[in-house]
Amino acid sequence: MNGIHDMGGMQGLGEIGYRENDTGFHEAWEARLFALVRALRTGSLRTGIEGIPAPDYLRMGYYERWYTAFVARIVERGIVTSAEVDSGRAEPASAKATPALTPETASEYLSITPKEERDIELAPRFRVGESVLGRNMNPTTHTRMPRYTRGKTGVVERDRGIFNLPDSELSSGEPKPQHVYLVRFTGQELWGDAAPANDSVYIDLWEDYLEPA
Amino acid sequence: MSQTNSDHVEDHTDVPSDPALRVKALESLLVEKGLVDPAALDVLVDAFENKVGPRNGAQVVARAWMDSDYKQRLLDDGTTAIAEFGYSGGQGEKLTVLENTSSVHNVIVCTLCSCYPWPVLGLPPVWYKSFAFRSRTVIDPRGVLSEMGLDLPSDVDVRVWDSNAASRYFVLPERPEGTESLSETDLAALVTRDSMIGVAKVAVPSVGGVA
Repeated sequence: MNGIHDMGGMQGLGEIGYRENDTGFHEAWEARLFALVRALRTGSLRTGIEGIPAPDYLRMGYYERWYTAFVARIVERGIVTSAEVDSGRAEPASAKATPALTPETASEYLSITPKEERDIELAPRFRVGESVLGRNMNPTTHTRMPRYTRGKTGVVERDRGIFNLPDSELSSGEPKPQHVYLVRFTGQELWGDAAPANDSVYIDLWEDYLEPA
Repeated sequence: MSQTNSDHVEDHTDVPSDPALRVKALESLLVEKGLVDPAALDVLVDAFENKVGPRNGAQVVARAWMDSDYKQRLLDDGTTAIAEFGYSGGQGEKLTVLENTSSVHNVIVCTLCSCYPWPVLGLPPVWYKSFAFRSRTVIDPRGVLSEMGLDLPSDVDVRVWDSNAASRYFVLPERPEGTESLSETDLAALVTRDSMIGVAKVAVPSVGGVA
């Protein structure tokens, strides 16, 4: 989706707010929410966050967006009802579960690596050193191909291995494993001749995002 | 602020009016339903605030500065070399280590969300998730770095790494001059989180050694 989250290359989006010793959380509730999301293991909130209407997305803070997407996810899965979220109390007749995560398992859980790479054989369509063109596509659903790479020519720097295409996983539910390539675009290809000649952007792109140049 | 439009307050229920209260209510609801154990949440918060953090990455950098074989392993296969320290998981799978030198400067960003190498650097700082950093780093890296206090000579190559897929990046900063006599522990103390994101350099220690 050409949503507001796809910000690469935009200008005028405010201040960086850089502070040398900045932390990950500015308020205690942010840490608490982060832990709740991790503990419930409801999966990535990316699509939910990307679905927040742009005016709200821009107005909300980072963890407010998490809150919104998390609540939508757990309501959608039937884990809680909207009425329960509004009241903060469980409906009297609702079932009582046993927490999946205990203090003992919480520390082990931190070192679990979700394996995303697929162990299958699949011939790559592109080779290292080959020129590729970012496909001009504008899906209305989830994609990990930023707009700034579309219609631009880059060079394959590395074959990352085989991963499911995030677009199909989230729209049709059918996994579509394919090679992912590290592609280098020059700053001038992306942004024009005014960009310094020795700037470049490196990004991983799934095979379906690319065409031969 | 006018209070006369109180009828309209409920129009904006999609934005939490007071996030702290909303999150507190959500936690008590999930506890009441037996879905979370508050003590397990405490463990997660403590881990992310105090255990998983940039000190992990600083140790990796200091080792690479001291041991050229380790540095080579790190650059060849970041995931495996970092696992030698016991750091893995979270968002750290497929770690690629990028070496900053006097002629090449690497900086990491996530334009689409907030992808970041958690096991070595902890949670991203708030500015890393700012709209301005996410949007401008790919189009004007030198301008962004300059605003953050790092002016790069025009003959230095700038490489921006947009973390949009399963790869996570981690910058191996340049070792500052005048640190030849320092131990690995003292070197690790010099390495800042921001130098491992690529928005700062490691400063030369002041005369008299590491504070």
